[in-house]
Amino acid sequence: MNNKILIVDDSPIARKMLRSCLPKDQGFEFSEAADGKEGYEKYQELNPDVTFMDLTMPVMTGYESIEKIIAYDRNAIIIVVTADVQMNAIKTVMDSGAFMVLKKPLKKEELNLALGKALEMLKQAT
Amino acid sequence: MNVQNILTEEDISILQEIMNISFGQSAADLADVISTNVVLSVPYISIVDVPDLPEYIRSHVKDYKNINIVEQKFWGKFRGDALLIFSSGAGKELISLLQSDVSEHASADPFDVLERETLMEVGNILIGACVGKFSELLKDVVTYTPPRVVVEKDYREAITNGHYDPDKSAIILKTDFRFDEGDVSGFLFLVTSNDSVLWLKDALRTFIEQYE
Repeated sequence: MNNKILIVDDSPIARKMLRSCLPKDQGFEFSEAADGKEGYEKYQELNPDVTFMDLTMPVMTGYESIEKIIAYDRNAIIIVVTADVQMNAIKTVMDSGAFMVLKKPLKKEELNLALGKALEMLKQAT
Repeated sequence: MNVQNILTEEDISILQEIMNISFGQSAADLADVISTNVVLSVPYISIVDVPDLPEYIRSHVKDYKNINIVEQKFWGKFRGDALLIFSSGAGKELISLLQSDVSEHASADPFDVLERETLMEVGNILIGACVGKFSELLKDVVTYTPPRVVVEKDYREAITNGHYDPDKSAIILKTDFRFDEGDVSGFLFLVTSNDSVLWLKDALRTFIEQYE
């Protein structure tokens, strides 16, 4: 079965950049959301295996969205992809249950390493 | 040259994302120095005619009444003005956040030297990191003028007409911020004239090609 990936970012170009960095040959099923609220709703609807989450977004921030998703599914694997690289921001999302934080601009190698670890964790959990 | 016709919707979207990354870097650099988190907004891009620029900026800061400004010009292939505008009282709050002893330096003079130096230092960090990251991402190198600092001035006097060449359009990259602690908020405007726009368009295309 193909892994489902949800990308939550208000910037369409950031979503495109992230997708372009992911492997093309693994048959991932992608979904996208443009703010934290839509991300939370899509999470409930699709139950993705891995969620990539921006932090600074309109309507609902990534911080709030992560809290809601983790409250809904404490095993959710959320990789934060953010330009906000302040120590407090990283600590806050890790305390909320994020799996990992990646800094923008994305580097393909870092992203794939993070995704590999996430999928490994998923495999161990099932 | 009409900037609106040169930059596509996708160009603007790339520019917005680069601004997001750049300001994120500058906030992190500042947070290393002060002991509080800087809360960022989603960056906003707009294109305005230069004669309308002072009014555009005034409309964003009018709620502050008195403002503090740190302004630096930058030159490279990408060139323009960085205008960092802080709310009233920001200078003293920043001194406190930087953990200096305010009372030790208290002065009857409203243009207190320490306040000015603190604003200049914080402005240097925010503008330098933001413009520096911005130009790094677009493979440019910029130099800066020394900062111009305006302390606690009525916004109508601080943002004057005739500051920019009236024949030009300006691309404005705006982000607003506030600090988790202390009553400090403000805006960072990067105002670049249309002299840079053709280079900018090419640089944005080169940037996004690595993701295609």
